[in-house]
Amino acid sequence: MKIADPDTAPASALRLQKLIGAAARRDRAAFTALYTLTSAKLFGVALRILRQRQSAEEALQESFVAIWQRAGDYEPARGSAMGWLVTIVRHCAIDQLRRSTARPESRTAPEEALTALAAAGSADSGAELRALQHCLDELDEQPRRAVLLAYCYGLTREELAARLEVPVGTVKSWLRRSLERLQKCLEG
Amino acid sequence: MRYDDPELRERLAAEYVLGTMPSRARRRFDRLIAADPVLARMVGDWADRLAPLDDATPAEAPRARVWRAIEARIAVAGAAPAATVPDPWFRSLAFWRGLAIAASLAAAVLVLYVALFAGRAPSPTVVAVLAGHGGEPGWVGLTGPRPGEVSFSAVAPPPEPKPHAFELWGIAGGPPRSLGLLPQQSGEAVALRAARLPPPGGVLAVSLEPAGGSPTGLPTGPVLYQGKVLVRAP
Repeated sequence: MKIADPDTAPASALRLQKLIGAAARRDRAAFTALYTLTSAKLFGVALRILRQRQSAEEALQESFVAIWQRAGDYEPARGSAMGWLVTIVRHCAIDQLRRSTARPESRTAPEEALTALAAAGSADSGAELRALQHCLDELDEQPRRAVLLAYCYGLTREELAARLEVPVGTVKSWLRRSLERLQKCLEG
Repeated sequence: MRYDDPELRERLAAEYVLGTMPSRARRRFDRLIAADPVLARMVGDWADRLAPLDDATPAEAPRARVWRAIEARIAVAGAAPAATVPDPWFRSLAFWRGLAIAASLAAAVLVLYVALFAGRAPSPTVVAVLAGHGGEPGWVGLTGPRPGEVSFSAVAPPPEPKPHAFELWGIAGGPPRSLGLLPQQSGEAVALRAARLPPPGGVLAVSLEPAGGSPTGLPTGPVLYQGKVLVRAP
């Protein structure tokens, strides 16, 4: 079996960390490399939330400007580089989604995708995804849907309430308990 | 809200990452994270817990123009990261580096204008060329139309949305001084008294501002164009 050198693997965690560090020192070449390595994945995430190429591209643009500006805030002790990047992109996409006026039909998140996501132990998923799927599986069905719809499609608490036909207060307590249970399950 | 209760902090960190925190509360939380490494760590842990969900999302290449737009914007943002208290652009290294490119371009445009106006009387003199970060000319300052005036003509101003304004600034040692708004239509010109410009070698910069110009009297938006005063206008 061939073992990838963690420092030279295309988008290894260490490589991304170093590139963000260099971008914080205003190294344009490192920032270009960071974009080259991560933009396709991050664009996929923005597209999942926004559904439209144009808006997803705008969100990606905003995100990378923010990444350039905030690169100095990132420290490896604060979690993985990709987790940091994805959080910025998801937040930019969610802001854009909340600002947009023409959105009702784009908010109908496909249930099949959620089902597929939550289907435990699909053969091609990595160990981390399998562990998360297992823990999601332990949640009740409706709270699990609320968590997935929020993370994957950026639904607000109010939109979740409308979608799942429960009061907003119920959504809030579902999210709170589900997140607590996920944390326990993943750390257990 | 009290941010010292560990359970509350954990819950907020989780909802921050999940995306269900209202946008305004999230921005407030962003500031807390920047000042609180432990909270930042909680957020990072949550991002890593939920990130595997993104593995199931197909990657897709964005169009090349996205990168071009990012490059243009970070060229403007230069060495001034917004997360910390930024130095104003007129003190940033990138700005002064960009000026070198603008200067070499100015020479090229100068040749063009000399060629265009040679043989005509009275021929206007090029006082300044305001160039973008890629070197493209946006406005040219020419002597005239009346003695003691310089007119800035739009050559190819960028297609920014209309509620914005392009404000011209002169810099000669101190903070930038507003010289007024520039025309946004190619071919339009605005005249100002030559005495208001910085002396030769002084810097001119164009920033993107809200309609009506900077509300503060200092540049508030990014600098998109810059150039040097080439000659003393008569």
